[in-house]
Amino acid sequence: MIKSILYVGVLLAAVWLAACSGSSTQTSAVNPATTRGALVENPPLRIASLDAATLQADLAGTASGAQLLQATGNPACGVDFYYLKFWTVGGANESTESSGALMVPTGSAAACSGPRPIVLYAHGTQTNQAANIADITNPGNSEGALIAAMFAAQGYIVVAPNYAGYDISTLGYHPYLNATQQSEEMIDILAAAKSALPNTLATASSDNGKLFVTGYSQGGYVAMATQRALIAAGTTVTAAAPMSGPYALEAFGDAIFFGSVDLGSTVFAPLVATSYQHEYANIYTATTDIFAPTFASGIDTLLPSTTPIGTIFADGLLPETALFDNTTPIVTVPNNPQLSAQLTAALALPSDPNNPLTPLFDVGFGPNFLINNDYRVSYALDAAADPDGALPPSALPGAPLAAVPPTQTLRLAFYKNDMRNGNWAPNSPTLLCGGDQDPTVYFSVNTGTMAAFWSALVTAGEVSILDLNGTPAGPFAAIQAGFQQSEQAQLAYYESPAGGSNSLQGAELLLVEGYHVAVAPFCSLAARAFFSQF
Amino acid sequence: MNKFNRLPGNAAMFATLALLAGTAPAHADDLYSNSVRLGAYFVFYHVKADDITGPYVPPGVNIKVKDLQTLYAAYVRRLSSRFDLEFAFGLPPVTKTYGRGPATLGSVPYNGVEISTARWFAPTVLFNYKFLSENSAFRPYIGVGFNYTNFYDRNSTAGGDAASGGPTKLSLTPSWGPAATVGLSYRIAAHWSVYASYSLSRVKTKLSADTAGVIRTTRISFGPQALVVSAGYSF
Repeated sequence: MIKSILYVGVLLAAVWLAACSGSSTQTSAVNPATTRGALVENPPLRIASLDAATLQADLAGTASGAQLLQATGNPACGVDFYYLKFWTVGGANESTESSGALMVPTGSAAACSGPRPIVLYAHGTQTNQAANIADITNPGNSEGALIAAMFAAQGYIVVAPNYAGYDISTLGYHPYLNATQQSEEMIDILAAAKSALPNTLATASSDNGKLFVTGYSQGGYVAMATQRALIAAGTTVTAAAPMSGPYALEAFGDAIFFGSVDLGSTVFAPLVATSYQHEYANIYTATTDIFAPTFASGIDTLLPSTTPIGTIFADGLLPETALFDNTTPIVTVPNNPQLSAQLTAALALPSDPNNPLTPLFDVGFGPNFLINNDYRVSYALDAAADPDGALPPSALPGAPLAAVPPTQTLRLAFYKNDMRNGNWAPNSPTLLCGGDQDPTVYFSVNTGTMAAFWSALVTAGEVSILDLNGTPAGPFAAIQAGFQQSEQAQLAYYESPAGGSNSLQGAELLLVEGYHVAVAPFCSLAARAFFSQF
Repeated sequence: MNKFNRLPGNAAMFATLALLAGTAPAHADDLYSNSVRLGAYFVFYHVKADDITGPYVPPGVNIKVKDLQTLYAAYVRRLSSRFDLEFAFGLPPVTKTYGRGPATLGSVPYNGVEISTARWFAPTVLFNYKFLSENSAFRPYIGVGFNYTNFYDRNSTAGGDAASGGPTKLSLTPSWGPAATVGLSYRIAAHWSVYASYSLSRVKTKLSADTAGVIRTTRISFGPQALVVSAGYSF
């Protein structure tokens, strides 16, 4: 009996030892490679899994979500939200980890299962360094909700980076409007997403070979740059729909420096300067070369930030609207009094009474300004000597870039990153959507310029232009009408007691301030309708 | 601590029962110095856990642990007529953890879903004081000591992986804590006795779940109470 008991004891000890040597469940495999496009964890984290009914209920539970549903329609599919971490490079070719979203449609409906088309999406300007477009649990992630409801919930696999410099990226700055870096990062996350798709949690997913590229605002620019890069790499883009992007950067920069100050310019300026300083190392020697002493210190690391932009304004780290000095600089061009006078006049406060945006431009000037007059004059002199072909007084047919590269370094950076550079044109169907009243990214200067530039380079019908403010006509007439009705309803709301009982002028100003954001769901809807043809 | 404060009362109750049961004649075999015991361990977990915290975890996500039974084994060394030293452990049981909180996380079922399993090896050393004389067939006893708990074979289930968002690696820190027991022995033959005891211990651990590099944590306090019924052989 004793032997039996001892035997049990030995057996128990053996069980214990055997158990101790067993391994616990492992998490995702970590890829040690840091090469571009390498997916760090495979399978990636699924942040959330929402079936169609839950997604619809979640969206309908908020005013903004309910409004979004009106544009997107009810979800046909559920959506799994994956958080991708991948390797890419920064603006100076620095290796950096970045992150983004992979949204996979779920559900048994034919439109939601089996190999699905991919929408590669680029988001708009973001000041929040911690922003994560994959985090659908964050109520502030409105752009993530938009692309989930618009594309993923209708059967598209959505791939969208957070961009280098955001979220987990330790780059320390964001390569803002850097055509090479941003397009390469889009291609890198596409590669990472394709590595992840076979290992997604619910069921293995795959794409059907169709690739659509789109994005909004900054992301519209990135989408176009990505389309160009994919074409250069020999990758077929099924169709593309850049939306409300600053494509013609040189022309857009010229317009701003000559007084058409866009809404949001005091945020865009430090992002642009810092990005191109890292890319070209010649934008400034000291930040005071560009920026007023009040704001110059630390501005090169100010954005993106985890501090809310409202707090940054309140703390006096950036002016809210005053990009330029409201004291007009006196331009002196040696031996050219006529040009001196012309430039001085051109740099004066906007005063065109016939331009409805004049009051908006005027708030771009103030005593507590961001950019020095000397710097503004240096830019203006370069633009005068080597004008952009899209703008008066040149306004050349085909809206070409400046005849020769500029010498002013910021303008040269715009020139290099202008989407007209490289003399390329889409080789697949492309829709450029926007609204011609946009006070943030001017429609005519950007979309209009690209349309003119491409007109001689593409086959008829390859590029479509959609102005949401245009007279409703053609395949997107219903979307144009819907947008215009929405704007009218919003105007009426601003005039109503619930919306603040604003005067008509005040309501119109509020409408202008919200215009750029208001365009996004309608252009996205147009993009989805456009993609559905292919 | 309140649970331990109950011990004197319980000990008095067992002592009273033993007195009422009377005594058995003294026997030379009482002087055996060693005994081994085997029996059944009925473990009642009393789990208190903080809500799980970490990225993408909504408020109110918690866990519960299912009670279980397992095999009890012990070696007891007689130190004197009044004192024993008991080395006890249970066959490492598979402990199942279930989601407690929202019915779903997104659309993934959570509340009541088995999310993980783990085995734990929890040896306990008890210093026991025995009442009545060695002549008594019934001998109540009380004991105090300490418990060491080590968790292993930690597995996130398919339900747990779905709730966490992917394959998940679990880790639980080992725990040292106090233990106490109150029991009753009854000698049925020269070498053989039967035992019943009720034990308490305190186990605290930190649970970390790693899903694709995202770490979620909670602190768990177990106050496991165990009812043991066993038979022992002395030699």
